[in-house]
Amino acid sequence: MSEALSNLVGRGRVHRRFYTDPAVFEEERRRIFRRVWLWLGHDSQLKRPGDFFTTRMAGERIIVARHSDGTLRAFHNRCAHRGAEVCAATAGNTRNFVCPYHAWTYRTDGSLASVPLDQGYEPEFQQRAATLALEPVARLASYRGFIFGSHSAAGKDLETFLGPQVRAAFDNFVERAPDGTVEMAGGKTIQRYRGNWKLQVENSIDLLHPRILHRSAVDAADRVDHGGGEPSIEWDIVKANGLTLREWDRLQIAALPGGHCWMGGFLTKSIDENALQARYRRILVERHGEQRAGEILAFNRHNTIVYPTLLVNSRLAQIRVLQPVSVDCTEQHGYIFRLNGAPQEMFEAAVRMVNTNNSPSSIVTSDDHEIFERIQQSIANGRQEWADWSRGGEGTSEAPMRNQHAAWAEYMAR
Amino acid sequence: MSSGVELWHRVQEFLFHEARLLDERRFDEWLALYAPDAEYWVPYAWEQASPADHVSLFYETVSLLRMRVDRLERGLSPLDSPQARVNHFLTNITVDAELTARAYLLFFESRRDEQRWFAGRCTWRLREHGETFTIVAKRVDLLNADQDSGHLRFAIPF
Repeated sequence: MSEALSNLVGRGRVHRRFYTDPAVFEEERRRIFRRVWLWLGHDSQLKRPGDFFTTRMAGERIIVARHSDGTLRAFHNRCAHRGAEVCAATAGNTRNFVCPYHAWTYRTDGSLASVPLDQGYEPEFQQRAATLALEPVARLASYRGFIFGSHSAAGKDLETFLGPQVRAAFDNFVERAPDGTVEMAGGKTIQRYRGNWKLQVENSIDLLHPRILHRSAVDAADRVDHGGGEPSIEWDIVKANGLTLREWDRLQIAALPGGHCWMGGFLTKSIDENALQARYRRILVERHGEQRAGEILAFNRHNTIVYPTLLVNSRLAQIRVLQPVSVDCTEQHGYIFRLNGAPQEMFEAAVRMVNTNNSPSSIVTSDDHEIFERIQQSIANGRQEWADWSRGGEGTSEAPMRNQHAAWAEYMAR
Repeated sequence: MSSGVELWHRVQEFLFHEARLLDERRFDEWLALYAPDAEYWVPYAWEQASPADHVSLFYETVSLLRMRVDRLERGLSPLDSPQARVNHFLTNITVDAELTARAYLLFFESRRDEQRWFAGRCTWRLREHGETFTIVAKRVDLLNADQDSGHLRFAIPF
């Protein structure tokens, strides 16, 4: 199977089964999602012992908790008794997780604390109970406060997996905060589409499409009359998609080891040079001096894509993570961060940017998702079995996607 | 006939009119019902206290709404081509002396081979405007705004 799977990636093309075959998706679960480091959340969600949140790890339901001894723990949200979801809350603080079905009770490290009427079990159960627990996630690690988990006990450590250029995105994320810390805040968005997860990963660095696919939004933004006032961040971010094809082609992109990549920033001057940005810049200069503050702000990237499913944007203080549900259904979860020490209005602008751009009412990503569904519906039609990924050039080159495909083939061959 | 009943009747007519303008894609006329500084808000969280510190499904000024419907009218968006057909059903309408109107919304959408519906609770803050009203603020709380698996896309406002 594995050799056949990696053959789905050809030279400058991928076979349509890459997007449509449920058997391929099952193999991805095993060979990719159970091997890589997947982003789970952020330190700021777990400040005190007993704090927890529930999330998903490429679709699998997980509890992440700060144990009473202060250590981070992560385990499957599945009772060791009958398999029920133990914790239905999205976040909170607790001493124990108690299964609502038969009250099997677990500590915040996942270990089994008690079962009711345990004299009803055979003596060997008493011995076995010591080993019963909410199944732990094999490895857990943090980088600059961003928490990752891996289902694989072996493999690269987190820092090696990320590599220097991806780590730089997280470094910059934190350094942009005048106090040097960020805090997850403002809720989350979930956009669902009926298409394969890889369509979004590819699209996030496809710089040929914005001018074309997002033309309706850009045109509408062009016609907005600001009445002499300062344009809103929502308008600005939509407008930014309207670079010409030549301008998109001049944007910097980078393909990195492991299938990761990044693209340069493309926001308009009015986003980067408004009064709020000037106020923020002064705070940063006060903390770090002109030169260091300048370096931090000069880190001008849009998406950094951590293969397979994470999109990091330090400039906009947001993270998106894809949760593959099935071969033809994906959820995109979006999170916002507050830069501690920065003006409150910066956070509010980040919130508004997400409303317009990454919520189900978005006038930008909604068109992307519509297209993913059209690909999912149509790609199996006819006798043409391959999708073309052969484009060269500069910013609009498909080299980063070919790099993703190569990483995919490498995981699938092992 | 008491003035309370008459006000209730006038408000009801006005809200039905707004619903019809949306359903018939008469977006210019729809936006004309809103005050220039009006606020249109569909929270993402249940009982969301503020649009400032938490994401919303929609939190828009008239200028942003204009951009949104402008896009739909140009017919260039794949999301809206083919177009969705929608019905806004309003029931349980009440209005108080401060011209705060409330209603239950059932929103039915048909597009391509899919039909969806959403239930919500609407609140309008209205201002007298001659014989009729101007919308100062509209808030729609969808019962499933924060549903676990998220939402497919919204094109037409609620």
